[in-house]
Amino acid sequence: MSSPSLEQVAGYPLALDRHFAPTTHAWVQVVGPNRVRVGIDALGAETNGTLAQLVFLPIGTRVDVGQSVGTVEAAKFVGPLASPIRGVVCAVNAAVAEDAGLVERDPYGEGWLVELEPDDLEADLGELLTGDDAREWFARRIAEYRAEGVLAQ
Amino acid sequence: MLASSRSLRVIDSGAASALQSQTIWHALAYGVSETGQATLSFVQPAAPYVCLGYHRALEELDLGFCAAAGLPVFRRMVGGGPVYLDDDQLFFQIILPVREVPMVRAVALERLLLPAVQAFRECGVDASLRDGEICVGDRKICGHGAGQIADAVVVCGNLIGGFDHECATRILRLPDLAIRTEVERMMRRYVLATPAPMADFKAALISAYAAAFEWTPEPGEMSTVERAELVRLDREFVTSEWVTGQIPSRGPTIRIKIREGVRVARAQRGDTTLLVSSVAGTVVHAELTGVHDLTPVLGRRLGDVASTLRDNIPGLAFEAFELAMELAA
Repeated sequence: MSSPSLEQVAGYPLALDRHFAPTTHAWVQVVGPNRVRVGIDALGAETNGTLAQLVFLPIGTRVDVGQSVGTVEAAKFVGPLASPIRGVVCAVNAAVAEDAGLVERDPYGEGWLVELEPDDLEADLGELLTGDDAREWFARRIAEYRAEGVLAQ
Repeated sequence: MLASSRSLRVIDSGAASALQSQTIWHALAYGVSETGQATLSFVQPAAPYVCLGYHRALEELDLGFCAAAGLPVFRRMVGGGPVYLDDDQLFFQIILPVREVPMVRAVALERLLLPAVQAFRECGVDASLRDGEICVGDRKICGHGAGQIADAVVVCGNLIGGFDHECATRILRLPDLAIRTEVERMMRRYVLATPAPMADFKAALISAYAAAFEWTPEPGEMSTVERAELVRLDREFVTSEWVTGQIPSRGPTIRIKIREGVRVARAQRGDTTLLVSSVAGTVVHAELTGVHDLTPVLGRRLGDVASTLRDNIPGLAFEAFELAMELAA
């Protein structure tokens, strides 16, 4: 696995070798011919609050875009981990299930969540943000959160 | 953001069985997910029971005690720990379509809990949000939890008319008298009942949510869809698969959260056990096998316990340092 191409955007790291789902802060990284890795970006990890627990669906489960690949709990709030692509869960990160804090400490590295075998990777990646679009979205979202007082100035 | 000029459906289910005091509002959440109708729900359990948070392990409970005491165990789809619930408590749930709830959880919880704080205050309870929980001073008065169920977000809480601290401790699987005594002591110190009249609290809560979000409250009933969901959930919530869940084992170290920032933790290696209570990361109570005076660690940060033991208690077994490091992690 190559190390992430991290760029600091308004004080938060953004891995520009990934594709991003702006509504959920999920990232997708192609890690093999028919395999992608999914995680949560640094801003999503920060705004979730301290993660208490992550539980994943069983390997072999098929998910659609927006469907849950697992659940996450922070501040007694349980929510779904929405998949940014269609496919079949082929691996889950046991380390983050054991220590959910990894997602906050290393969101683009050891804190990855699941791996999927995509159904139609090209089509689904086309719906996600990369490069300048991702950078622009990320900066805008940070500014919005700061204006709302969610993030420190 | 949150919608304005809308109606707030208010459903008061009155007293319900232990099971339906959970399944009713889960069913309503599925309904709200379909219709988008903001809903405030009330229900009071007719009998005591035990309820596990969605991600909590069944092994955290003393199931032998629960069975002997006639306490059924259910698992809810929102967060938080294992709790003892009874008819001295009134549950409320505010349920909204997920699209109307701020994405940032802390913001969502604050906006959806502040009207409840206001309702407590209307009833003469000097409540405030402290570390994300509804408290009077440093004592928690409302157990809340939240979750996304289908396309709805539910935030639940309760008015605690009376709280059985002993039973709330007894339901937990705790390995010895020392930790049981300490958990109960900390619960008595940091969990407070506020016996406001339930009718007054309901009225205040309806007014507070309506005012906060510019909603018009209207009495409502469960829809056909919600009644069908209730039937389904009544079946599902009593299955062993649901109650057991797919939660990994917690391991030998025990960490009990009394309220946010207040914890009792116990670790063990062989015959050596270390029990530590902390408030905001500062040690307020400690017990270590074979050591009778742990005064030096009181008032220290959890992370400093190991070095404090090393510096102040000569000849201590290495296990003691390991345990202190583990509890600080």
